[in-house]
Amino acid sequence: MSRLLPALFCVPILLAQDPAALFRDRIQPVLKKDCLGCHGEGQVLSKLDMRTRAALLKGGARGPSIAPGNAAGSILYQAIAGSGPLKMPPIGKASPEFVDAVKVWIDAGAPWAEPAVTDRWSAFKEEDLWAFRPLRAAQPGDPNSIDAFLERKLAEKKIAAAPPADRRTLLRRATLDLTGLPPTYAETKAFADDESPGAWETAVDRLLASPRYGERWGRHWLDVVRYADTNGYSNDFERPNAWRYRDYVIRAFNNDKPYDRFLREQIAGDELFPGDPEALIATGFLRAGPWEHTGMSVEAVTRQMFLDDVTHGVAATFLGLTLGCARCHDHKFDPLPTKDYYRMQAIFATTEFARPRLPFLPTENTSGLAAGRAGMKAIAGKVQAHIDAFNDLSVANAMRKHGVTKPADLPAGVRAKAIRDREGIGPDQFEELKLYQKHMQLYQESLDRYEPKAFAVSSGPRDGATDGGPNLKYPKHAEYTPPEVHVLPGGNVQSPGEEVSPGVLSLVERYAGLPSPEVPASVEGRRAVLADWIADPRHPLTARVMVNRVWQYHFGRGIAADANNFGKMGARPSHPELLDWLAARFIASGWSVKKLHRMILLSDAYRRSSVPTESAAREDPANLLLSHFTPHRVEAEVLRDSLLAAAGELSPDAGGPGVYPQINEDVARQPQHRMGSLAPAYLASPQKRDRNRRTIYTFQQRTMADPLIEVFNGPSPDFSCERREATIVPTQAFALFNSQLAHDMALALAAKASTLEAVFVRALGRPPTPEEASLAGEHWKKMLAHHRANPPGPRKPAAPLVHKITSELTGELHSFTQQGDPDDFEHNLHPSEVTPETRALADVALALLNSNEFAYVY
Amino acid sequence: MFTRKSAIQFAAPTRRELLFHSGMGLGSIALTAMLAADRARAERPLAPKKPHLQAKAKNCIFLLMEGGPSHIDTYDPKPKLNSLHMTKFAKERTKFQAAMNTGDRYYVKSPFEFRRAGKMGIEINSLFERFAGVVDDVCFYRGLHAESVNHPTALYHLNTGNQFGGDPAIGAWVGYGLGTENQNLPAFVVLPDVAYPQGGAANWSSGYLPAHYQGTPLRAQGSPVLDMAPPEGVAPERQRANLEFLNTLNRSHAAAHPQHAELAARIQSYELAFRMQAEMPNVLDIDKEPLAIREMYGISGPDKDAAAYGRRCLLARRLIEAGVRFVQVIAMGWDSHDHIDKAHGVRIRAADRGIAALVKDLGQRGLLEETLIVCAGEFGRSPDNGIRRGGQAWGRDHNATAMACWMAGGGVKAGQIVGATDETGLQAVEEVHPLKDFHVTLLHLLGLDDNKLRFLHAGREKQLSQTGGELIRALLA
Repeated sequence: MSRLLPALFCVPILLAQDPAALFRDRIQPVLKKDCLGCHGEGQVLSKLDMRTRAALLKGGARGPSIAPGNAAGSILYQAIAGSGPLKMPPIGKASPEFVDAVKVWIDAGAPWAEPAVTDRWSAFKEEDLWAFRPLRAAQPGDPNSIDAFLERKLAEKKIAAAPPADRRTLLRRATLDLTGLPPTYAETKAFADDESPGAWETAVDRLLASPRYGERWGRHWLDVVRYADTNGYSNDFERPNAWRYRDYVIRAFNNDKPYDRFLREQIAGDELFPGDPEALIATGFLRAGPWEHTGMSVEAVTRQMFLDDVTHGVAATFLGLTLGCARCHDHKFDPLPTKDYYRMQAIFATTEFARPRLPFLPTENTSGLAAGRAGMKAIAGKVQAHIDAFNDLSVANAMRKHGVTKPADLPAGVRAKAIRDREGIGPDQFEELKLYQKHMQLYQESLDRYEPKAFAVSSGPRDGATDGGPNLKYPKHAEYTPPEVHVLPGGNVQSPGEEVSPGVLSLVERYAGLPSPEVPASVEGRRAVLADWIADPRHPLTARVMVNRVWQYHFGRGIAADANNFGKMGARPSHPELLDWLAARFIASGWSVKKLHRMILLSDAYRRSSVPTESAAREDPANLLLSHFTPHRVEAEVLRDSLLAAAGELSPDAGGPGVYPQINEDVARQPQHRMGSLAPAYLASPQKRDRNRRTIYTFQQRTMADPLIEVFNGPSPDFSCERREATIVPTQAFALFNSQLAHDMALALAAKASTLEAVFVRALGRPPTPEEASLAGEHWKKMLAHHRANPPGPRKPAAPLVHKITSELTGELHSFTQQGDPDDFEHNLHPSEVTPETRALADVALALLNSNEFAYVY
Repeated sequence: MFTRKSAIQFAAPTRRELLFHSGMGLGSIALTAMLAADRARAERPLAPKKPHLQAKAKNCIFLLMEGGPSHIDTYDPKPKLNSLHMTKFAKERTKFQAAMNTGDRYYVKSPFEFRRAGKMGIEINSLFERFAGVVDDVCFYRGLHAESVNHPTALYHLNTGNQFGGDPAIGAWVGYGLGTENQNLPAFVVLPDVAYPQGGAANWSSGYLPAHYQGTPLRAQGSPVLDMAPPEGVAPERQRANLEFLNTLNRSHAAAHPQHAELAARIQSYELAFRMQAEMPNVLDIDKEPLAIREMYGISGPDKDAAAYGRRCLLARRLIEAGVRFVQVIAMGWDSHDHIDKAHGVRIRAADRGIAALVKDLGQRGLLEETLIVCAGEFGRSPDNGIRRGGQAWGRDHNATAMACWMAGGGVKAGQIVGATDETGLQAVEEVHPLKDFHVTLLHLLGLDDNKLRFLHAGREKQLSQTGGELIRALLA
């Protein structure tokens, strides 16, 4: 119906045109863009090739596509107009203008303007292919340092670079950058006083050697790979051994594991390094995305979900490609045909989930496991006791029904059936039983976090160690045959197209000349080939992408600004030659990330002041040419860690299962739905040394982020985060100025600092200026008077934690009292436990912890 | 309009670029002030924006019925099921079906009475006593198809257009497209039920859109916005004094870094936060409403469940009135696999009064014309059920091919039934549209063109409908 209107207006105009020109101008471009991807280029779905008039006349499985002179009787017209059984294109609709043009053209005899056989590959412009070409070889006369490359561009624009930053600023910048924590006052002072020529180099090496370095840079990597400790969706079950992958990443950075090895372990550690436990843990990377399969899931769909996730996850992480765009149709901007997408996906077709036993390594922190296991078992035991009581009740009801007094007297099978069918238990009671059963399910899954198992994959099912939940059935490894992989036009798993064999992306061979390796069709060895192909020093993307990521975290912007998109739609590199030079150095250094850091930090560019020169402000306000340092707000984790560090409360503990930080109380007490019932209440870790650990060690629950992290642009673990945003929203002020955590940390800081000067030193790493000292002194006096007049009440006992759920059985509200904080909960300092003087110091501290100086890096 | 440039306009370098290109020098405090004023304009991503198209509706209240309300037991009765009741049949398990929907099945009739309502004479569940009185303002839509029969994926699909989650919610898209009228309040507010729905806060996430557009859940108890108030025992004068001291520190810091314009925005954000802290309690104070209004919403009635829902509906109206752009009200508990007579009965009674009062109240105030009300669950329910707990239960499974949904308000064809389901209610068969078309239509009613409301993310111009959809014209006035 809706199409009639435009047709009325358009057709007369179209009729006036030369039909061959009409075809050339209005039809052929659309065929190329929307049709040939499935019908003629790379694939010929439904046996229909649309590249030539002859082929259209011949048609496909449904017969001829066009009947010249009779549009209404032509399948092509019917399909796009929606007037026949076949509707095309599969996604979206043909524009009314196009439909009208096709009608006029067919009715006019369908003249063909020119030979239409096109090569999609030749449509790409060289400038859009920069990332797929080999690294530029060094030329005589090339610059030979970061600064020389940058200086060349600055000179072209006649921009003067900013002078070096002062030493305090510089040390703070580097310490936050490399360790994610602010320097202590003593460190700053020592550096400021060290006038030896090697002072900076020494400081950089000290920071790179710090175990805090891996925690900081590991977090960057976890952003890219979408790390979380749970599956997401309905049950959001824990991935109980995922923490071993998180710690593996931290160790890899701390040990400067060569990047080519690092990536090979994550893609195919199980195949390439079969005896190496680290390499098995590393494969947890392949399962990092959100994924769940329940009784309500469709197996073909959840399997496809994993395959799609891992395919574009690997491409985004290591190759900087938006391969996901080629899932439904050929990539619109980059030379990535859909067929390549599914060929790469076929590499993972034999990758199955596994959770095999793997003894803990000496480098893993296992110190809390025994106590953690015992604690969780005790809670789970209480829950099981409730379930047992319900089971007893069901059996008692069955006994009454059968007129017997002992369970043993029940007819065979009745006891088990009574428990299974919850004999005589009404909907109200059942709601309670369901809660216990749900809690039990969740605890049972979580208890595995204390067991020496790996969250990993295997090629083909790993007998006895398959994973994915009770609803998935795996064949025995010996009976397993690799599944066929088909192109899925439109990404639709229900309508498979052409079958494909596993293979790597063809653009690399085409544009970089690196021959595409044969990927075996066997169960094992597919990923090994992929990993080796990506790790090949001749691969044009691998080193460029990683070098660019590292550069971006140092300077706030990559040389190519879109770290996950090196294709046409990504930003062009500002210094392409520098990027290639760095990539080549990176490879030549044995893929050493630490050497790369060192090279960058020792450059003049890194050490510049954040104040732009006048020429820079005029010519390059966005600072693309790095004439000065671009200031930025610290990331969410750095903010929380700095808060704890300033308060002297940051725990040095590292590694092991995720800990539960102190989060906003309302969120902690909020009931969380889990399929059919509720999750147990959120409880912060009782001991300070656990809950006050660095943020990277906190438990990452997909369906419930720490609101403090979330509000400061913490990344969603549902997609790869290439770069953090730093939006400024008022709810950030609430989180940092009003939250219990901020107030507690300000008080803890004040209690450790006896003077105003000490408060400044702890919070900002420097003593106050005389002016600040006087302002702070006034504020302190004012607040002291306030606190003397308003003494705080004692610490209140926590209110009982009542969770409600709207029952799906009765439609009514049910309440459950949840487990509250345990008795051994180690409380934070309370205002009633300190003097009014300290409380007033805490007010000064709170303001300092909220200040822009605290939140920004210069 | 929604090009790559606008997507990154919140990034500091671009703003600086703008300012420095206007030829200003550096260094003076006065300049800092000018920068701040200029930035205040650039920094208001929530400022009202012109819609793409002329539309009556400016605001939206989305009544989300979580769990999958049954169309068959609400407003799409199926008398055919009376004769099929408890007839057994078997459904084969295929590769594309969940375990839940296969095996031995039996048809289930509706346990409810139905009665005709409104001029159109739609048959609706008799328990909708009050809702029956306003159906002439409502357009019932029976042609909608979802895709997933799994709660979280279906909820994500309904709320964000993407089954797998992580994308911006409709409310975030609307805030991005239209901005909001009251800069002291969030653009997108969510009023959750007693528990968060499956999939959690991702149901109101801003996804890849900037954080300004994220849904703010207002809690029924405690602080409505997280940490809007300081911890108990912190007196207002103490908080104010601390803020003033903070501002003094920040001002002298900004003076020392005049080149860094972002600092002014952060100072402002603290002030905005405290304006929100002052304004929000007034908006939320429903005791300010006349008794008759409170009674209309059933807030002081004996049915606590209905009172709680009525309270959320009244809050939704107050938030819209105060200039919030998009409010989502969640009612949970519609997942009636067993005892649908009781479970759906209680849910319908709890929702009836609040919904009817909302439609009526908005109408009386002349706000219905500029407000779009949408009511939907993540999917509908099946005409049949499987074996439950070893026997037959009077309930229904999930069904993505037919569902219960309606719209009312600005631009909606009121007093109509659009589309139809087959004789058992298994599938929509007339005016059938996928969910993405529903999304396109919802945006259209608010003056937004889904094809223009785009954001570049991960190399793709993304949009609510994912790949573009079709307008459901039959729903439009």
